[in-house]
Amino acid sequence: MSLLAAAGLTAAFLTPGLALGGAAAPATAADKTTFTLGILSEVDSFNPFLGVQSEAYEAWALNYDFLVGYSMKDISPEPELATKWSHSDDGLTWTLTIRDGVKWSDGEPLTANDVAFTLSRIIDDGGPWAVNYGTYLKGATSATATDDTHVVLKLSQPIASLPLLPIPIVPEHIWKNVNVDDLKSYAAEPENGQPVVGSGAFTLVEGTAGGSTYRFERNPNYWGPTPHIDEVVMQVYKSADPMVQALIKGEIDFAEDISPLQVKSLEGKPGITAHFGNGVYFDEIAFNTGAVDPETGQPKGDGNPALKDPKFRHALGYAMDNQLIADKVYQGAAEPGQTIIPPSYSEWRWEPPEDQAFTFDLDKAGQLLDEAGYKKGSDGLRTMPDGSPLGTLRLAARSDATSDTSINTMDYFKEWLDELGIKAEVVPYTSGRLTEVILDGNYDAFEWGWYVEADPDGVLSYFTCDARGALSDSWYCTKKYDRMYEQQHVEMDHDKRVAMVTKMQQMIFEASPYLVTVYITTGEAVRSDRFACFQPQPDPGGVWLIQYGGHNYTAMRPADEAGDCDGVTSAIGATAPSDSGGSSSTFWIITGGAVVVLAAAGGVVLVRRRATVGERE
Amino acid sequence: MSLATATESSVLPQPRARHHGYGRYVLTKVLGAVGSLAFMLVLNFFLFRVIPGDPARTLGRGRFTNKEQIAEFNKTYGLDESLPQQFLTYLTNLAHGELGISLKYRAPVSELIVDRMWPTILLVGTSTVLATLIGVWLGIRGAWKRGGTFDKASTGTSLTLYSMPEWWLGLLLIAVFAVGWGPIPGIFPTGGLHSVDADPSSLSGVLDTAWHLTLPVITLTLAYLADYSLIMRSSMLDELGEDYLTTARAKGLRDIVVRNRHAVPNALLPTTTVIALSMGYIVAGAITVETVFSIPGLGLLGVDALEVPDLWLLQGVFLVASAGVILANLAANLLYGVLDPRVRT
Repeated sequence: MSLLAAAGLTAAFLTPGLALGGAAAPATAADKTTFTLGILSEVDSFNPFLGVQSEAYEAWALNYDFLVGYSMKDISPEPELATKWSHSDDGLTWTLTIRDGVKWSDGEPLTANDVAFTLSRIIDDGGPWAVNYGTYLKGATSATATDDTHVVLKLSQPIASLPLLPIPIVPEHIWKNVNVDDLKSYAAEPENGQPVVGSGAFTLVEGTAGGSTYRFERNPNYWGPTPHIDEVVMQVYKSADPMVQALIKGEIDFAEDISPLQVKSLEGKPGITAHFGNGVYFDEIAFNTGAVDPETGQPKGDGNPALKDPKFRHALGYAMDNQLIADKVYQGAAEPGQTIIPPSYSEWRWEPPEDQAFTFDLDKAGQLLDEAGYKKGSDGLRTMPDGSPLGTLRLAARSDATSDTSINTMDYFKEWLDELGIKAEVVPYTSGRLTEVILDGNYDAFEWGWYVEADPDGVLSYFTCDARGALSDSWYCTKKYDRMYEQQHVEMDHDKRVAMVTKMQQMIFEASPYLVTVYITTGEAVRSDRFACFQPQPDPGGVWLIQYGGHNYTAMRPADEAGDCDGVTSAIGATAPSDSGGSSSTFWIITGGAVVVLAAAGGVVLVRRRATVGERE
Repeated sequence: MSLATATESSVLPQPRARHHGYGRYVLTKVLGAVGSLAFMLVLNFFLFRVIPGDPARTLGRGRFTNKEQIAEFNKTYGLDESLPQQFLTYLTNLAHGELGISLKYRAPVSELIVDRMWPTILLVGTSTVLATLIGVWLGIRGAWKRGGTFDKASTGTSLTLYSMPEWWLGLLLIAVFAVGWGPIPGIFPTGGLHSVDADPSSLSGVLDTAWHLTLPVITLTLAYLADYSLIMRSSMLDELGEDYLTTARAKGLRDIVVRNRHAVPNALLPTTTVIALSMGYIVAGAITVETVFSIPGLGLLGVDALEVPDLWLLQGVFLVASAGVILANLAANLLYGVLDPRVRT
């Protein structure tokens, strides 16, 4: 019986929490406007030089300002801390004008010295300082403050991606004490109750990397428009279902990165608006175009020789029904793909003209293969141009991806290859193992994807000879492409560079080291009965949060203050909701029905319990 | 670690009691545990070096665009060193009580583990204790009136719960008691360890945490219940036929006294082993339930680390988990030596 008593005690300890904890939460919420965002991964580091997760970038966007940020419309460079910039004719000297009168959240003035300090750490100290942002400043030799509002950046060779400098500027008076050795584990988190010092619209007051809750308070010294909310809370959920439940219940106001099924289940729920936002990711089927040892240039691995032929690879582009993949494999949460720069970057993207674009046309694919010499043998299987058997293509898929998209895509591809007379098998790997297989060159094709940066230099670099053995996973290498890559890398004339980037996309499209399957969209849902004025980025069609920069945290408003959202017509909640009456009455009908059914069920149980009372102890 | 468990707990009770000192028994067991731990330390290092994957590539996919960035990352976190050199660094770090810097979170591993350990101990510890108490009680009652309605109901229920996936049970509880279902109001939070602005050191903070932990604790307790109730039930059944119970009854003792004073203490012995061993798994966490309820515990930390693979963090988490099992094993052995002197041979 003592056991029972102990159990009872524990229960008694747990129960008062219901009443007290339940009552406590709403009481504090009434004082200030808190926006709670549900995310599916932890912030891996609040130190902007260390973290790599999107969630970390989001936290820095709240806490710090970029030197040059991104526009909402097409993610092109836009003034942030730097209000103006100009460069010498040779492109080797850049002068940036720093916004006047900006203060850090602790009241210290933010000057050109802070900017020069941050850039100098990356340029001079290198090491961990340079890991995240080194590429934006590759070729820079110095950054100096000439006065409080001007920074001069000297380069040894032009950097075409300038003025894009999405580098969070950190306060010199705090960070000068951090040396290179300490930086690799410097947390940049609140210490002794002191919030993190930054110049962004919000400042981190509570939270630690890998923790599950992060709280940001409005920065009273912020130079930009005053946010309409007092507090941003990020709440980490380790699986999406409970996060969606929390949204329905109202514990959170926004759910980020939810699945197509969840978006569909939330559509029409009163007070909730869900959508798919166009993202900056593509998924692809990549080929082993000829693995070599990067040091010696000697071939390595056992890739199928047919895939070394651009004609063979390009023909397979017509054997891919990307619309079907987007609909079936991604359940609608994707757009069919063509080239390596997603439509979100409209400025840089090359759209293949209709007569060149891939369409699902197995006859055409077969015809192209025939022309290239891969004819069908007597057994119905295609052979190499010299008549030797083509063998079986190994299609590597990632078995540990969060969804089955990788394996399902390859399953479809295998069927289409079969119809073309090419034997194939799907081989699953974990991502880690697949990385090794790719580096060893022991594969024919694999399915994976990339996040594409706002400047195309990054995604274009994966196809250079120099990237082999590092980030190249197709082993693509041609002198012509490399030359163009080097040229666009230093081209200061924007229009000329766009033309080069367009041409390079076309080259990759024709040589087909990658067949881009889809551009992935992101599922998002917001309590639109509570918050409004989220502007999509890119506008229209883009995501509402986890954008480039923290624009929507200053733009969002409580729903009852939405108005016309300062004339941003694309923002959600900007127009007066007119059709909410219909859906909400449907809700009550359904709820009412459910209550009746449950009450009836409860009655049945009660009756049955009474009936069996004699049997029970 | 399962190897260690098997050898340590396979010490069978000897038929005759011999008077060896308890001190010597303790010494052997402690030395054995230290040996297992040392073996784990070494195995730990090499085990995770076998996992395929390259942390710089996994973490930097889409962020790192050139070789320099990968090289810089590897250099900063000592991944460019040779394997023997890394092993040496690992041993030196351990000697200084350090576990290295997490590759994913860029924070000292020891800090991360300490941060994550308390939620896990609270969640799994509370559930283990509750499941033990309730399970043992169910087992005793069920066995005493074997085949009765209570026995049938409790065995059936606990077996059903045992066979349910924990995450599914958790999701059901969330749907019903957190979101609300029909007339049942959603009074519990859907996840997390505490409210955002709760101060964990104040009374309201403690209650807030308890409120958040209610559903996950119930989930785990229900899932663990059968472990204890079935063992307790069967060891009680073993005792029921014993002569000493007949004697006790013949002395005219009341039924409840016969059960609690005579049968239960003897039947508790096998259960003790199971309980002590499961205590060791408390720090290993409960991955699925931590995932469903978003409890930032050690189980989740290990899973996150495995994806990278975050070698130093993995080593740390596994070290703590295996140390937990080894220590619990040791405790079980020492306790058994007290409870049953026959094993001290």
